[in-house]
Amino acid sequence: MSEAVKLFSLQITLIAVVLILHTYIGLHIIRRTLIFSDLVLDQLAAFGALVGVGIYTKYAFSDSNVLAKVAALFKYASVGSYLLALVAVLFGSLLLALLKPKTRAIPREVVIGILYAMALVISLLLTDKLPDAEAYVTTTLSGSLLWVTWPLVTVTAVVYIVLLIFHYIFRDTFITLAENPQTLKNEKLWDFIFFTTQGIITVLIVPIAGVLLAYAFLMIPAATAAMFTKKWAKAVLIGWSIGFVACVLGLGSSYFFNFPYGPTLVLFLGLFFVCAMVVRSILSGRNLNSKGYK
Amino acid sequence: MLQLVQILGWSFLLCLIIGAVLGYFGIHVLKREVIFIDIAVAQVAAVGSIAAHLAFEVEEDTLLSYLFSLGCVLLIAGFYAIARRKIVQISIEAVIGISYAITAAAAMFLIGIAPGHAHAEEMLAGRLLWVTPQHIVLCLVVFTAVAFCLCIFRKPLSQISQNYEGAIAQGLKVVWWDFVFYTLLGVVITFAVRVTGVVTVFSFLIIPATISALFSTHWGLRMFIAWAAATLASLVGLLFAYFFDFSIGPAVALFLGVVLVIAALLAKYNGVIRQI
Repeated sequence: MSEAVKLFSLQITLIAVVLILHTYIGLHIIRRTLIFSDLVLDQLAAFGALVGVGIYTKYAFSDSNVLAKVAALFKYASVGSYLLALVAVLFGSLLLALLKPKTRAIPREVVIGILYAMALVISLLLTDKLPDAEAYVTTTLSGSLLWVTWPLVTVTAVVYIVLLIFHYIFRDTFITLAENPQTLKNEKLWDFIFFTTQGIITVLIVPIAGVLLAYAFLMIPAATAAMFTKKWAKAVLIGWSIGFVACVLGLGSSYFFNFPYGPTLVLFLGLFFVCAMVVRSILSGRNLNSKGYK
Repeated sequence: MLQLVQILGWSFLLCLIIGAVLGYFGIHVLKREVIFIDIAVAQVAAVGSIAAHLAFEVEEDTLLSYLFSLGCVLLIAGFYAIARRKIVQISIEAVIGISYAITAAAAMFLIGIAPGHAHAEEMLAGRLLWVTPQHIVLCLVVFTAVAFCLCIFRKPLSQISQNYEGAIAQGLKVVWWDFVFYTLLGVVITFAVRVTGVVTVFSFLIIPATISALFSTHWGLRMFIAWAAATLASLVGLLFAYFFDFSIGPAVALFLGVVLVIAALLAKYNGVIRQI
């Protein structure tokens, strides 16, 4: 029993830390309609890890000793594989920041969506040439929150706190980027920094939580909050609270009923989101536009 | 040569049919900014077929499985149509994106409870090489019916795509027409994804329409450009997959991307070329 309690408190701590930054970044993404950006970075991180698997399977058992040692560094979920994922994600952030359609007929989300499709396509084409690659595709989708350990939580928490401080210091710039990007001097540079933050948290969280849960952490609390307030601090508070309650309920029921944890958490978050939508539409029906929304 | 046509012929024909219908839908999708729609609807349809499998132990290509998928698509089409009207604080793209996360979780939840269903990779990559004449006939019948509906309803649908608020002001029943739009699109996606995989359908939906937006704002011309781009990319993609031994669906999607990059460069330097 005490083992279970330990693991439970570990996961709750991790979720509590992760949710603050995710809700905040998610609010930016919702407000700017860059919904696909997270999937682009997720997919590129997975692609980086897959390249690592490719290097490992091709050279780890070769005759050359040096080559074999170097290749061994790129085994799945090793340091080399994280590095490759990070490189791929940085490249993705650069593309996300630079590629902006000039004509209004093409929304920016389209470009991001196409980047996602291309990242997925190159991953699938790569898996054509890898043995047992299907297993890795499934692993990158579902994650392994059950393997969470204290060192991993510490590293994740420290990086998240550093990023939080950074975003707190530069909050005005990032909020301008979301609300009036024309007035910002180095718009593309700030965009790149924004996507890099998103990329770093992606690389950290996806191996633990899986693509789906990471994406849900980012989108659902933020979207739920954005329906009820336009103020940033208030929205982060609402989003975090709702996300935390949903996650605790999800984790609890995944323990008691032996449900798969990742999907259960997403389903609980989704339940809160749908309820919030219903509440919102009832409220809007009563006093339409009274909150200053158009 | 004859052998090549025998192997790739049906796949190419199917690409042409899918490209034609999805190219037109793509222009609507871009105007409405609902880029996520393909991935979300495909996921919803997958939940339907998994549920059918769990409840009645039916295989994927059976009538009951299709009916379950289509039932789920109808539900989600209604949900999107109502959400677009009622929720103004966040964009419909965000709602669709989140509905994807929820339905994907539902699919994994169902698989987690009862394992032994389709692999994630096959759903993503599709099986375009194993296209049979039956698939072609089925898709042709379904897509022709959808195209017929689109032709009849084109006016209200494009009016809503162009200007949602304007359509409301003119007294159009937007929720109802949105429901029709998402249902038709959902039916096409459900059938297309079963043969070509999510990512290929996504590329066919978004990329040709984007290419056409680079060069024109006129509906007719945009459709022509979109179809030409889709045909070219399908042909090159199929040959590439055949000669270098890759999966066909992702290869075609890759070349749709390549055509887009070339088109974007052309559009960018169009002025320069004209001056020369």
